[in-house]
Amino acid sequence: MNKHSKMMLTGNKAAAWGVRLAQVDYVPAFPITPQTEIVETLAQWFSDGTLTGKYTNMDSEHSMFMAAGAAAATGVRVFTASSSQGILHGMEALYTIAGWRVPLVMVNVSRALATPITLEPDHNDVMSTRDCGMVQLHAETCQEVLDFILIGHRIAEHPQVALPVLVNMDGFYLSFTREPVVLPEPSEVARFLPPYKSEQPVFKASQPMARASAVFGGATYSYFKIQQDLAVRQAETVFHEVSEEFAQYFGRNYGPVENFMMDDAEFVFVMSNSFATKGKAAVLELRKQGIKAGLLKLRLIRPFPTQAIADSLLGHHKVAVIDQNLSPGMGGILFPEIVTSLYSRINRPEKFLSVIGGLGGKDILKEDFFSIVEHLRSDKSEGPLFLYNDDDLKQFKKVSHIALAEKGGSES
Amino acid sequence: MIQVRFHGRGGQGIKTASQILGSAAFNSGFQAQDFPLYGAERRGAPIVAFTRISPTPILERGPISNPNLLLIGDETLLNDSQVAPLCGADESTIVFVNSTKSTEQIQKQFPFPAAPLILDLTDRCQNFLGKGHILSTALATAGARILGNIDLKDLLEAVKMELGQSLKPETLQKNLELTQDIFHSLSPCTIPEKPIKALASSPLIELKQTPVHEAAPIILAPGNMALRKTGNWRMQRPKIDYDHCNKCLICYARCPEGTIKIDEDGRPQIDYEHCKGCMICAQECPGHFIQTIRESEGAHE
Ligand code: SF4
Ligand code: SF4
Repeated sequence: MNKHSKMMLTGNKAAAWGVRLAQVDYVPAFPITPQTEIVETLAQWFSDGTLTGKYTNMDSEHSMFMAAGAAAATGVRVFTASSSQGILHGMEALYTIAGWRVPLVMVNVSRALATPITLEPDHNDVMSTRDCGMVQLHAETCQEVLDFILIGHRIAEHPQVALPVLVNMDGFYLSFTREPVVLPEPSEVARFLPPYKSEQPVFKASQPMARASAVFGGATYSYFKIQQDLAVRQAETVFHEVSEEFAQYFGRNYGPVENFMMDDAEFVFVMSNSFATKGKAAVLELRKQGIKAGLLKLRLIRPFPTQAIADSLLGHHKVAVIDQNLSPGMGGILFPEIVTSLYSRINRPEKFLSVIGGLGGKDILKEDFFSIVEHLRSDKSEGPLFLYNDDDLKQFKKVSHIALAEKGGSES
Repeated sequence: MIQVRFHGRGGQGIKTASQILGSAAFNSGFQAQDFPLYGAERRGAPIVAFTRISPTPILERGPISNPNLLLIGDETLLNDSQVAPLCGADESTIVFVNSTKSTEQIQKQFPFPAAPLILDLTDRCQNFLGKGHILSTALATAGARILGNIDLKDLLEAVKMELGQSLKPETLQKNLELTQDIFHSLSPCTIPEKPIKALASSPLIELKQTPVHEAAPIILAPGNMALRKTGNWRMQRPKIDYDHCNKCLICYARCPEGTIKIDEDGRPQIDYEHCKGCMICAQECPGHFIQTIRESEGAHE
């Protein structure tokens, strides 16, 4: 293992290194903050010959995802990346190419959605792709970003999966944050992830074929959709196999979830992505003060690892699901998914709390975790708990004053 | 864990400074993390960057509110209530300021929790690099030296790693000389331990519904960009020499911000609350009657 070198890399650079090590053949690209550093770095490597495939600047994310899917249908290894409004702009294409059952890896650098517009992260963008029929891996660290791209190609290209795999990282908190990342030895990556040879029919010159047929009559449509569901579910088994092999090569072992200080935890925070690091720090501090806290981090979001989640949470009393997203009129998007995973099991936690925090990059403070514990202790069980305090309101009041928002009231 | 916060302006190399310090710590065998924070703004706008250094894995992310070491690259920011670079600093925070002033002078002017360390980095950057406003190497070196746990050779290696690809060999060499010079001009400090505060809950509030004019992001104030004082983006200040100015008003026509007004006598007047210090006026003045002065000095004239 000692021949692997370690470097200070941002999440974006780590993603670019993942693509480089995976020897990707084709990258269609369109820039968007905070993702741009990924495609800029790749553009540089394609132009100086470090990477030998083809890189194309597209006119929009819609074209970009279509190009990615079309290229994958020719049997080459494909990568692309986007964020936020770009993901939404390409949404139609995402459903389309996932339905084509073609393998590729894309990175989403999470950034909250308009309106109002911002550059900072939350997970509404990636959650909007939840139902497209893609596999989703969410990264906490820059190392996970790189590793998930390698693992992602293996899952995507597995004949029983044949689907796009999305790797998610938080904008700013990961995309622009440098930390030490182990760069796997290229020759070992080549053994773990050999050049892609498709086992399904692929487009070739002068051999006509269609992938996107129209179907009338629900029976045929349903057949294909149920097949897609089965393939996404199968990706969990494949994830386990591939992860085990990855651990043998590179020594890092990834389960679909990570348990942090869970053994005797009375209060469990369920989190995903980079803020889970803050959650872990809070768990350690709470423990110092005699509060038995633990954290369950989700890595695999689609397929949803119901069994692994149940295995982790059964027997613990109080669970708070911290969603960094908001489905207005409902609450956090992952909360009902976690509750559903446990509903029919005996010995399930007695209390579930939905918590919404980190919207638009708002920091989640260590004190917030203490507040969550207090809420878990109380017998209040109404709607979601928003991590929003007086200081936040003061900040809002300042800008609303400049915008003269109050005036609308006095004139109406 | 040592937490370092950097303050400066877009274009001064503040993000690079945080990366040089991060890499230097990493080279010295520490765990490190660095991270810049900036909005959709431009050169001259205030920028914050952070470096965390620890012998054990770092379980933190994002902004640093209570730093162990505060490195202020641009002293004009001390005047800026929006940036408030001293925010979160307490008696245990070591504060370094790039300034020409003495500790006593600067302490009289600003409410430092303890006496700050001072060195004129701009002057040294001007001498070594010919560019007084590029502070990346200088500020990182000041940080590394004050922390005292980073070897000079690891720091020099970090400067090479972070700047080697973008700079010409001669310029890189000058940066390395600058590193040595600043490293030997400062001494290591003992970084006091932060008092451990027991974790308490943050009182959360429940928002009540407000009318849509307040609930939606609507701006009713016409022309409120004037409230946005871009004067705090300035690193250099244009100063008109009225003894020679012949009122040709070329500067007035060329200022991209429209911040030059004409007074009753037909003379150009610069609105320093909005002048962003691009120095286009100075370049355009046919008689070179607009001087360029260092902002921290000009502010007191
Ligand atoms: S430096 Fe001169 S040209 Fe630039 S904004 Fe200020 S007054 Fe205008
Ligand atoms: S361009 Fe120079 S000479 Fe002309 S008005 Fe401006 S300062 Fe005066």
